[in-house]
Amino acid sequence: MGDVHEVPRRRIATGQLAQYIGQPVCFVGRVEKIHPTGKLFVLSDGEGKHATVELSEPLDEELSGVIEVVGRVTNQATIMCMSYVQFREDKSPFDLELYNEALKIIHEFPEYFPFS
Amino acid sequence: RRWHLSEGLFSFPQAIMQGEHVSKPVLQVINTRAIATGNGPPRYRVLMSDGVNTLSSFMLATQLNSLVEEERLSAHCICQVNRFIVNSLKDGRRVVILMDLNVLKTADKVGGNIGNPVPYNEGQGQQRSSAPAANTAPSKPQQQNGNLSVAGPAAPKYHAPPNQFGKPSAPSSVKTPVGSQAKVVPIASLNPYQSKWTICARVTQKGQIRTWSNSRGEGKLFSIELVDESGEIRATAFNDQADKFFPLIELNKVYYFTKGNLKTANKQYTAVKNDYEITFTNETSVVPCDDAQHLPSVQFEFVSISDLENKPKDSIVDVIGICKSYEDVTKITVKANNREVSKRNVHLMDTSGKLVTATLWGNEAEQFDGSRQPVIAIKGARVSDFGGRSLSVLSSSTVVINPDSPEAFKLRGWFDSEGQLLECTSISDVRGGPVSGANTNWKTLYEAKSENLGQGDKADYFSCVGTVVHLRKENCMYQACPSQDCNKKVIDQQNGLYRCEKCDREFPNFKYRMMLLVTIADCLDYQWVTCFQESAEFILGQNAAFLGELKEKNEQAFEEVFQNANFNTYEFRIRVKLETYNDESRIKATAMDVKPVNYREYSKRLIASIRRNAQLG
Repeated sequence: MGDVHEVPRRRIATGQLAQYIGQPVCFVGRVEKIHPTGKLFVLSDGEGKHATVELSEPLDEELSGVIEVVGRVTNQATIMCMSYVQFREDKSPFDLELYNEALKIIHEFPEYFPFS
Repeated sequence: RRWHLSEGLFSFPQAIMQGEHVSKPVLQVINTRAIATGNGPPRYRVLMSDGVNTLSSFMLATQLNSLVEEERLSAHCICQVNRFIVNSLKDGRRVVILMDLNVLKTADKVGGNIGNPVPYNEGQGQQRSSAPAANTAPSKPQQQNGNLSVAGPAAPKYHAPPNQFGKPSAPSSVKTPVGSQAKVVPIASLNPYQSKWTICARVTQKGQIRTWSNSRGEGKLFSIELVDESGEIRATAFNDQADKFFPLIELNKVYYFTKGNLKTANKQYTAVKNDYEITFTNETSVVPCDDAQHLPSVQFEFVSISDLENKPKDSIVDVIGICKSYEDVTKITVKANNREVSKRNVHLMDTSGKLVTATLWGNEAEQFDGSRQPVIAIKGARVSDFGGRSLSVLSSSTVVINPDSPEAFKLRGWFDSEGQLLECTSISDVRGGPVSGANTNWKTLYEAKSENLGQGDKADYFSCVGTVVHLRKENCMYQACPSQDCNKKVIDQQNGLYRCEKCDREFPNFKYRMMLLVTIADCLDYQWVTCFQESAEFILGQNAAFLGELKEKNEQAFEEVFQNANFNTYEFRIRVKLETYNDESRIKATAMDVKPVNYREYSKRLIASIRRNAQLG
């Protein structure tokens, strides 16, 4: 699989999962639900669209709020999670919709946001 | 172009006299005459002809007076009547009030009377087929004249006037719940010459009961504003009528109002567009009307927020905007009567990209809920020149949150998609307070220089996001007068005393005061900025007194403070001015305020800026 942490990974939204199959990506979304096995959870992006994240080991903590997942997109357009970070929202909330707007800009102007 | 007089085919005067409805008749003015009215606007009576008959029972609605006064409507001209209503007088005669008409051909182009019209005489049958004129195809005309052709087959059926409500503005019979039949007339036709009338109107504004007590006696009153499809009018009830009707009349409900006094309106107290206003009498009756869906609710004439800058102080306007942000409710004491009143500032933004501060008072201020940035429509707000232009909501204003109207939906859609990302400038110049976007004038350091800010007569202010890249620790503070309001540098007398020239006193101590020169930079440029006390303390993260001690006692710790302060990014409010010193002119920049970066707002500004630049290509 290769360690996704050693290669550049594009920030994407749910709508772009299909284009990045097999690629390392970074996905930021809000936790919607967690599968009872703890090996799968669903995130919603800034447009409210859902993405499924799979884990090789079950979760060992409660996940909630906005998290950032780094992983690789599977053939089923889910994300195989290699690592994740929970965003702290104690001081101020994370504006997921605004993040989505920024994502659009990054993808619309690749000449100014070169990737690798 | 040939104009057709509506002659003969359905005999306009006869149709009128028999209460039939006709659509947009084209008539010729034979004569106009001004009627004395005392101290109101003049009324004009018009003698009209349809080519066959003349009829003198036409009165011009006062809003059309200018047509006569500017001589557009004069003897011999041809006009098309778009809207009219027929009033029945006590003696059975009918008067046609002309509400809206177009002059199709001015008098000079016509030259004379068309045909040989004779005064209409009721009872005379004129060129009518045996079938009732109102509903059959017109019969062939019997008169042709000169260069005017006869009217074509104009449908005698009545068409609704071209207003948005599609209801005929002609009298209709209506059964009031009292059982008697009363003709409902349009508000626009009310005038002091008729004492018996009934209107069907919605209450769009209801004031509080106001009392007065002076040497001539005391009393109370309340006022309401009424609206129907034809227009609006103000009505006031005094004393007994105030007591009687205040609990009965509810805002936004529709009633039949019958009989009241009409007098010339006192335009000082109201912005209602009507030459007259109603005073309730003891004959006035107010009865709820159930079938009133068609009546317009509060009528607004919105002014865009950017246009408010052109409105004179104290004008009354209607405004609609998204409440981008709002402040907490505060209580202030009114000096005049020592009463406490609640007050709240809200900030409205519309598609012009401008922000205006509106002040709410009393209950409205207390109960206001601005979460989720609602659309707010205000009718009858007063423009003040506070900070430039601001709005004050009066007791006579109406505030509607999230109105059910097309303008509101449009605003909502615009704001949710692009409006919220827009950097807006406030016309109310609100300083201080966490109001996003209010009067901040965001610039990059490059723009501030290239736009020559500060080079004019006055200082310029702008805001920017910058990173501290250097701080000068030498001479970053000075010994200042310990007096509360004096910051003058003191002279060390070398005997344990420090002298302040300004206070003309000597002190055994001093206070340290910061004057820190900082270099800030952004992606394009850098700028030297002088930071005084609060800004410097914020950047260094320590207060002046403590820093003074460190400087004297712990050089290394003092240095560390400066190292830690470097390479931090903040929002700066900067004042720039050209200063001349020893024949040399230089732009001097001072930090008025330093704050942590609000990344959300910063991102929104950047995204909006990128999109704008992309559009410019």
